[in-house]
Amino acid sequence: MSPRDSSSTARSTDRASAIAHIALNGILALFFIYLFVRAGSLPESAWEPLGAGTFPRLILGLLILLNLALVAKEVPRIASSASLPDGLIRQWLWNHRLALGVLALFGTYTLTVPLLGFRLASFLFLMLVQGLLGARRPRALLIALVIALLFSVGIHALFQNVFSISLPRGMFD
Amino acid sequence: MLDALLSGASQLFTLGTILTMLVGVVAGVIAAAIPGFTITMAIVLTLPLTFAMPPLQGVATMLAVYVGGYTGGMISAALLGIPGTPSAVATTFDAYPMARNGQPGRALAIGIWASFFGALISTVVLIIAAPPLALIAVKLGAWEYFSLIIFAMTVVASLVGKSMLKGLMTGCLGLLIATVGTDPMMGEPRFSFDLQLLANGFPFLVVLIGVFAVSQLLQEVEDADQIKQGKQLISANVNFRPMDAMRETIARPLNLIRSSLVGVFIGAVPGAGGSIANLLAYDQAKRASKNPDSFGTGTPEGVVASESGNSATSGGGLIPMIALGIPGSAVDAVLMASLMVHGVGVGPRLILDHGDIVYGMFMAMMLAAGMVLVVCLFSMRWFLRVTEVPRSIIVPVVLVCCVIGAFALNNRATDIYLLLCVGIVGYLLSKLDYPLAPLVLGVILGPIAETNLRRALMSNEDWTLFFTRPISLALLILALISIILALRYRFKANKRKLSQT
Repeated sequence: MSPRDSSSTARSTDRASAIAHIALNGILALFFIYLFVRAGSLPESAWEPLGAGTFPRLILGLLILLNLALVAKEVPRIASSASLPDGLIRQWLWNHRLALGVLALFGTYTLTVPLLGFRLASFLFLMLVQGLLGARRPRALLIALVIALLFSVGIHALFQNVFSISLPRGMFD
Repeated sequence: MLDALLSGASQLFTLGTILTMLVGVVAGVIAAAIPGFTITMAIVLTLPLTFAMPPLQGVATMLAVYVGGYTGGMISAALLGIPGTPSAVATTFDAYPMARNGQPGRALAIGIWASFFGALISTVVLIIAAPPLALIAVKLGAWEYFSLIIFAMTVVASLVGKSMLKGLMTGCLGLLIATVGTDPMMGEPRFSFDLQLLANGFPFLVVLIGVFAVSQLLQEVEDADQIKQGKQLISANVNFRPMDAMRETIARPLNLIRSSLVGVFIGAVPGAGGSIANLLAYDQAKRASKNPDSFGTGTPEGVVASESGNSATSGGGLIPMIALGIPGSAVDAVLMASLMVHGVGVGPRLILDHGDIVYGMFMAMMLAAGMVLVVCLFSMRWFLRVTEVPRSIIVPVVLVCCVIGAFALNNRATDIYLLLCVGIVGYLLSKLDYPLAPLVLGVILGPIAETNLRRALMSNEDWTLFFTRPISLALLILALISIILALRYRFKANKRKLSQT
């Protein structure tokens, strides 16, 4: 990559980062304004000068100011940076495919633990993530199986029998 | 006094007590090393096992878990960048970069020695200063608590990283997250939108593991090439030289003593504790350092400050409990419960009525600190093998541990969903370079700040009391000095950068 190309990539990355900051802080500012208004209807108390909504409103007011300051700080960066090249988002998603894959599996795992029970959900999660991250050959799969059994069935037995803590049971238990 | 001391020693130094203490130390270190498992959980699980033991043996075993836990939290902080317990948050700032720079053994060894000296110094202070310090601690009213929290919030200035605005934003976001759920004074639901998920608010531990563990682990699996090659978390020749680390640690006596005293004081203040002490000690060490820019890059100064600061809270926490019968934290309350189960009344007369147990506890603290040192120094080579485990194994296993920790805290499935939400927010913020430590600090300090502000104004509506009560005023002046120094430092650093470019 020539110096001109790398400088252009850095400038477009700068623009992408500025847009992301503006989008995040803009959305947060709107959400916090909504919460600020909503906090105004929280009840007051006859026993204390500050009601349930005062402290949150103080924090929300500060947050809105900070979000707007961050937006104002990022706007000039857009003007001084290069336009976004085509396919940047696709490239970013491809570069982060493993992290996003693990996040998707983790999301599914957390949502299905109460349904499938700790043992089954953890076993499936551990096998799938290890598979996603490269356990494909017989030896690696065997190690993955041992790890998955140890940290699903084994941990469940430890908590049940030693600590008397019942982990989620699910519909198959 | 001598009779009580000898009686305590004769009860403590028996084979049975020493053995159960040793098991307690190992259990405390391991439990705290697993992200999502706290020292409080380990102590609560130990309590029923001590019922069959004599009073001193029971409380000594629990103290061993307590002291072991403060050191154990450092292991995952240094090796994975995930604080094993809330008290190891600041340890991740320098121990993890040091480990990533190829020196995981050095990071752990310095942490172990700093923890040992911190626990030792706090025990000495506990023995000498328990009654006077306890008297100061209980004089703190709601005004002083609020001012103390304002002072603690100025720590954010040290945690913000490159951008003050971003750090303040995440700090305030933490304060806001802490307001979700039930209002602490009136019991009114706030921002829960009639959702069961938000009805109980965001438990602190769920935020901690969501923000640090989930986002950190997702970042570890971003590089597909490294994962394909089966790369470990830390690629380094693991050298573990405890004697070199000891020399490095004691070569910083001022940092050790200052951080330990911060830990003792914060530990002695009921409701504060190790989760605040490590950050405050780190902040003070950074401000006092001749080279503050090195903090956050893997400097031993940062590891020493955080680890001695959090370990010193173990002794500090016992001060109000022993001198006045007031538990300073959940752990102290469980310790108190274990004494009361055995018919030992805990209160201002404890030292007069049961001197043998009190002196036995002092000796147990020292013995536990020594045991933790020996156990850690001998077992750390095995812990360091974590660095050899490929990411494809460690990432899913730690994520499962996080889910167990989030669930076991309150036996609530909704906490697992919250963990996912916080994890996604943490990952998003870290991708955009927002510092996450201020967010955690905000979640810790928010409820204490709000409760005490409202309590103060409820008992007297006069705002000027915050400035006229001497201790409150002193704390506010300290906060102001802290902000001025932080701004001055940032101004100078910016000026230096400009002149360099």
